[in-house]
Amino acid sequence: MTFQDQILYIVQGPIVWIAFMIFVAGIIGQTFRLSRMIRKNQPLRISDSAKTVKNKKKERWQRWMHHIGQVKTTMIGTSPFLTTVSIIFHICLFITPIFLMGHNVLLKAAIGLSLPSFSEPVSDILTLIVLFCGLFFLLRRLLLRRVRIITTPYDILLLLVVVFPFFTGFLAHHHLLLNYKLMIMLHIISGELILIMIPFSKFFHMIFFFFGRFLIVNEYSLGLPKRNWQFQTRE
Amino acid sequence: MAKKNIDTAPIQKILKKNKREIKLGLKVCAHCSLCAESCFLYQATKDPKYMPSYKFINSIGRLYRKNGKLSRGEMTKIRDIVWHDCVLCSRCYCPFGINIPSLIALARQACRTQDLYREYDKEPTEG
Repeated sequence: MTFQDQILYIVQGPIVWIAFMIFVAGIIGQTFRLSRMIRKNQPLRISDSAKTVKNKKKERWQRWMHHIGQVKTTMIGTSPFLTTVSIIFHICLFITPIFLMGHNVLLKAAIGLSLPSFSEPVSDILTLIVLFCGLFFLLRRLLLRRVRIITTPYDILLLLVVVFPFFTGFLAHHHLLLNYKLMIMLHIISGELILIMIPFSKFFHMIFFFFGRFLIVNEYSLGLPKRNWQFQTRE
Repeated sequence: MAKKNIDTAPIQKILKKNKREIKLGLKVCAHCSLCAESCFLYQATKDPKYMPSYKFINSIGRLYRKNGKLSRGEMTKIRDIVWHDCVLCSRCYCPFGINIPSLIALARQACRTQDLYREYDKEPTEG
């Protein structure tokens, strides 16, 4: 067994499980920490339109039209292109590795269970979508003044960390650039790095997003669209 | 009379008391700049210095990172951000739900301890 094989053996085996354990334990721990910060400021008010389901058909239609009219004031309305790219990017980011055939084969070998998988061309397209969206975000960070003004090198590093496993995975699958073993090693290590980083870096927005969406009352959740930050009385 | 030097003790007290909120806000902010459109000052001028995220990162975020140890000049810059560039209308919208107005209010609180307020007798800075 060569040195390269030995390293490959280690990153393929024990380190994967360690990374998964850190990922799960980190998420549980951070969620617990976050939930301790929640304070109840006011009861959640469900909006009228959600409550009165049995209203007349015409009224309901008018309400729908009103909501559609409001879309232009939301983020989808103000930055339609960015939100679309962002949604596509995040969906592909999740479904590509989970439903990838190669990953599921490994999963089957390890625990005897596997998920349904995409065909290889579909996975390839999804990977390329992730890469192009990543490129779009990078260019946006570098070229748009409003983003550049708050960009730090750390943001760019995180973006590269996200797309690196997709990049190396794609190259490894098509046997491009480097030899397969080296490329797959880079792919595995970068994947493990992301798993470990998720609970402890800005990637934690993966969990925090749901906190923000469903635990902050009013327009972030099911409440009336009325901005109502509760200022705490401070000494 | 405005104080000459910065008294870090009251600032550090504010930072320590609200550490979790500030830390979480800074950690969660993905620097996406999507909050820009929710600020009417940004909409009117298109100047990124009015972006809510820029304002809180460069006021309370800066204070937090330096643990309150800033020079008088830097504190005055923070004063300009939190008083002259923000009216605290609390209309800013973060997709992650960061309470930006609350964080800017904290920075104002820190400025107040150093006798730095809005200067009503001066013309607002041109955007």
